[in-house]
Formats: sequence, structure tokens, C-alpha cells
Amino acid sequence: MRKKLIPYLLVSPYIIYFLVFVAFPVGFSVYLTFNNWNIISPMEFAGLSNYKRLFNDALFRKAVVNTLIFLVIHIPFQIVIALFLAELLNQKIKFRGFFRAAFFLPVIVSGVVVTILWQQLYGFDTGLLNRVLVKIGFAKIGWLTDPNWAMPSIAVMATWKNVGLYVILFLVGLQTVPPQYYEAAELEGATHLQKFFRITLPIINPTIFMVIVLSTIGGFSLFIEPYVMTGGGPLNSTVSAVLYIYKQGFFYHHMGYAATLGFFFALLILSVVMIQKKFVEKDK
Amino acid sequence: MKSIKKILPLFVFALVVSCSSDSQTRDAKIIYWSSNNTEEIEFARYIVEKWNQKNPEEKIMFQPVPEGQSSEEVILAAVVGKTTPDIYSNMWEGDVESYARAGVLVALDTLDGFMDFLHERCDSAVIADVTSPDGHIYQIPWKINPIMLLYNSNAIKEIGFAEPPKTYSDFFNASKKFQRDNDGDGYVDRWFGYAEVLVTWWQRFFDFYPLYLAASNGAPLVKNNKAVFNNEAGVKVFEFLRVMYKRNYFPKERLSARQDVFLDGVIATRFTGPWEISHTEKFKPARFKYDFHPMPVPDNHSGNVYTYGDPKNIVIFKTCLDPPLAWKFLKYALSEENDLKFLEITNQLPHRKNLDTNPKYAGYFAKNSKMKVFAEQAKYVKGTDQSPVLKEVFDLISQEYEACVIYGKKTPREALNDAEKAVNLLFLK
Repeated sequence: MRKKLIPYLLVSPYIIYFLVFVAFPVGFSVYLTFNNWNIISPMEFAGLSNYKRLFNDALFRKAVVNTLIFLVIHIPFQIVIALFLAELLNQKIKFRGFFRAAFFLPVIVSGVVVTILWQQLYGFDTGLLNRVLVKIGFAKIGWLTDPNWAMPSIAVMATWKNVGLYVILFLVGLQTVPPQYYEAAELEGATHLQKFFRITLPIINPTIFMVIVLSTIGGFSLFIEPYVMTGGGPLNSTVSAVLYIYKQGFFYHHMGYAATLGFFFALLILSVVMIQKKFVEKDK
Repeated sequence: MKSIKKILPLFVFALVVSCSSDSQTRDAKIIYWSSNNTEEIEFARYIVEKWNQKNPEEKIMFQPVPEGQSSEEVILAAVVGKTTPDIYSNMWEGDVESYARAGVLVALDTLDGFMDFLHERCDSAVIADVTSPDGHIYQIPWKINPIMLLYNSNAIKEIGFAEPPKTYSDFFNASKKFQRDNDGDGYVDRWFGYAEVLVTWWQRFFDFYPLYLAASNGAPLVKNNKAVFNNEAGVKVFEFLRVMYKRNYFPKERLSARQDVFLDGVIATRFTGPWEISHTEKFKPARFKYDFHPMPVPDNHSGNVYTYGDPKNIVIFKTCLDPPLAWKFLKYALSEENDLKFLEITNQLPHRKNLDTNPKYAGYFAKNSKMKVFAEQAKYVKGTDQSPVLKEVFDLISQEYEACVIYGKKTPREALNDAEKAVNLLFLK
């Protein structure tokens, strides 16, 4: 009997953790979706009204589209730059350790600090980018004040902040490629590009998938950047889905509706990741 | 075993210390949370110490509101966790109605002598403002920080104006004269004024809302669960600000992360409150002169110029076991004497009538002439309407404000029509 109990005892810390911090919050959130609750008053049963509201909420649709625009810019940009930098940092260059650390530095800097720094770069009148543009004869750009530029600007900043993490992941992937493959290809007269596309890419495919999934999930949770830099403006062009959910929950205390949005959004992320998985696995 | 012997005395000591501090808390009959800025903590400590000396049997324990992202969030968490203090000062007027509806606040008008006290402290307009739709009063008007026009006196003189602009036309003229491209790159880099372009709902307390109150002689935004802001005053304010942005008299860029643009001379005016005085005094360059003036109004405006008073009030939570005692303490804390002390320590205005003419405060205002301007304005301030969905109302107005005023995508009439429809829908839900 005692022997039978020991395994359960050993896994119990995780089970307790899982029940308290995962299962209960998820279950409670689902329950909340059928209720209206402003935290301070008792809950009121709302049936499916929160779901009805979700499908008629034009601003939430815009927030989801904004998030997708962000992902479309951010993910390819991030993968290409991370892979390029990883390829460079995989060569035997001077100060390799320093460069590897330097590219990783923005990852560990607080998101709010990075955002405030980039706000200075993006400033219309005094920002460094516009000063350079004017110096070389171009017109100034409203990086954060023009609705067409605001989300791409945020995507570039987010890429700069996170690229170091993916450089490290790609570096790990690149180091799993057996060197004799390259030697054999060189003997056959393969160019650098051919080696990259025929050997490196297929072998690091699992790493690419991991990077796509991680940056998709990270991208879907876009929050700090628009929250600090633009507050969702101009003209709601940078309202991300998470920012919108946060506003519903913590500005207006529409907890039931915020839970509904969050639940729907989690399903959306899951679907996108499953589709990505299918595509990448097909490529194998 | 040896280590246990070493640790045990420490453990016992910690237990004794924690129990003793707990017994101090239990000694207190009332727990009072003040705001957590240095001056207000100093004031709260002063009145509580004096009270406790005189009333050793009815001790009050004060502590600043615990640290959090905002005091509003801390209070909300305390309400949810049923760990609210007995008294809380610094409650934003706009939050009171939702707490009152949730049944967590004591109806103060049911306390002995409350209405007499209130009539003595405030005029009828303020009493009407703080009365909930259910007819009860859940808050004591405590302090205000009216929003006014801060202006650089030298800059105003430099552009040939004898006094700060009073009307929208004056504002346009002054703006045109002050606007400048300093470095010749074809872009304006000196503007007459600045207001935050962020769409965040409370940013409108520093531009649209005080201007609307000024233009409308203090009219409400919502009344009887209906939007009432779609009127001539609303249109004029939207149009005024729209022109300011369109002609680049206000920048569309956020300047708040830079060095103080007002002290740097990058802007000549700003809509702000009395808290700006201590900051400006501390950091102003040599020979820099500034002053305050009521908010600008439409050209044909007549009557007094109202503004937003940013009122913070005092409430008693229902978790309080002895509301009459809490009320007794508050009557003492809000006496004329203590209001003077509050003025002297915090440089914020107590929300009481005839502040500028009451001889009790004449000495203070003689020494602090800039505060006198705010005391005079204090007769014409409004708080927020009593509505549980006030934040959403401001958010919806702010969305339309951005579309119309900042980006010119809608006319003022279209924007206000859309805001009115959206707000009325909110009340239907």
C-alpha cells in the first residue's frame, strides 16, 4: 500500500500546482464567460450574451487584425534576421563571445525601458530616425503618429528586442549540423548559398518550427509596446488583442467579457499554431 | 540541535515583534488609509497624532494606501478581498458611484450631523454633484486641483500680448505668432501648447473635459442615463482643438518623455493643475516667469469660466465597525484649522466654499499668490457625473476625439453624434 502511494506523493506537488494555478483559473475563466461580473458586485448569469457581443464587436475584430498584421511583419523579419545573425556568429570571427552577448542584451532589458528608448528614436520632430531622413533629403515620417506606420514601427522594435533569443536558438540548431556534410558538399563544388539551402535549412527545420511557434505565441501576446508607446492609437491602429482584453478587464472591469475574449483568443492561437505545425511537418 | 538552539531565540523574537505590532493595530478603533505621496502622508500623520493625543480611548491608526500600480487598483483589490480600511481619503469622485452600487460604502447622510456639516463646508452645487442617483451621499468633498491654463509670461509678452489668451480666437492668434521652425528644416518645432494625444480615457481630463466645462458653464456629460454632451459647447471645443492640431499649433507627437518642454520654451502653455507650481519653482531657468489663467472659452462665451476640479473625496467603507467614530474623526480632520494645515503642508486646495475670501486662509494665500488664482477658480469647478460607467463614457468620447480632433477624419458634429450614439447604447445594456 505504502509502495503504491509513493509515486502519487512524488507527483503531488506538480498536481497541486497544476490544479491551483492552471486548472482552476482555466475552469473559472470558462465559467466567467457565461456571466457578467465587475469584481465588486455579485456575478450575474449572462448566458451566451458575451459570445454574441464578441462576434459583433468591431473593435475586437480590428484588434485581432492588427495583431495579425504585426505577426505578418514580425515573424518573417525576425526569422530572417535571427538566422542571418546566427550564421554570422557561427563563423570563427573575432570577439564572437562579445557579439553573442551584445545581441542577447535587449532580451533581458525591461520591455518598458526598450519601449521608452525607441519612442525617442521614433519621435517626429526630434527623433534620430527623422533627423537622418531629413539630412539625406527625405520627408519626415510619423512613425508612431501615422496610422499606416505605427504598427510596422512597433513590429520593428519588437524584432530588435527579441531577435537575440532566436539567434541563440538558431546557433544551437546550426551547431547540430555535422561538418562533414559541408566538407562533402565543398568537394562537389557547392556554393555557400547552395550549402545553406540544401544542407543547413533542412537540418535546422525543427529549430525553425520552434522559432515560428515561439514567436507566434510571443507576437500574439503583444501588449507592452502599444500600451506604453501609443495606447492603441493612432485611430486604434495599434490596439492589439491582448491590449483590448486588458482594457476590458482591468479598465472597465468587464470580467465576463474579458474572459470570453481571452478564451476565444486562446483558441485562435491554438488553431494558428496547429496550422503552422501542419505546414512545417509537410515540408519535412 | 545546536543550530535549532541558535534559531529558536530569533524565532521567538520575531513572533513577539509581530504580535506586538498586531496588538497595536488592534488597539486602534479605526484604520485610515491616506494617499501615499510624501506631503499627504505628513498631513495624515499630523492629524492622527493630534487626535490620538486628545482621544487615547478612540485611537486611529493611519497608513498610506499600500503600493500598487495605482491607488484605484489597490482599493479595488481591498474591496474584493474585504480588507478595506475604515476610512479612505483620495477616492476619485468618478469611482464612488460603482462602489456605492456594489453596497460597500456607508451612506454618510445617515450619520448624525453630516448634512449640517456638509452645508457648512460646501455650496449647494457641490452637494448636488456628490449626491448619488439613489439620493444618498457616499463621499465627503475633500480636496480639489482645478485644471487651468499655465502660461509662460515672457513668451506671451514676446509675441505682443499684454495678457494670456482668453478666447479661442485669441488662442489662434497667439499660436500663430508663437509657432516657429527653429532649425529651418521645414517643420514646426515650437508650438503654442501641448496636450497628450494618447486615446487613454483619463487624458481627456486635461483637454476636452475642462474645455467643455468652460464652454458649457459647467454642463454635465451624462444625465439620467443619457448622453448630453452633443451640444454647441461640445462642437465648439472639438472644433477649437481640431484647428489647433490641424494648423500645427499643438504637436501630434508625444512630448512627455522629453525634458520639460514648457520650461525649455518648446511650448508656451499647458492645461494643468496646481501641482505644477512646486515642479516649476524647483526647475525653472533664471528669469523664467509663469502664471495661471482660466481655460480658454468660445468667442461669444458669457458667464463664469468653469473647469474640471479633479476632486478627491473621503469615504467610509462598510467594513467599518464604528461608523459614528469614523465620522467623528473626519469632522475633526476636516475642520477649518486642519484644512489650513492641509494647504500649508500639501499645497492642494481643500474643497470648501469661500476659500479665497475666508480670513483663516488669507495669510497662506498672501504668501502663495499663485495658489490664490486656483482658490479663486475653486468657486467654478465641477467634478465628474455620478455614473457607474463613467470610464467607458470617457473612453468613447476619447475615441471620437482622436478621430476628429487629432486626425481630422470626422467633423466635430459627426464625431459627437457617433459618441452620443455609443454612450446611449452603453446605458441600454
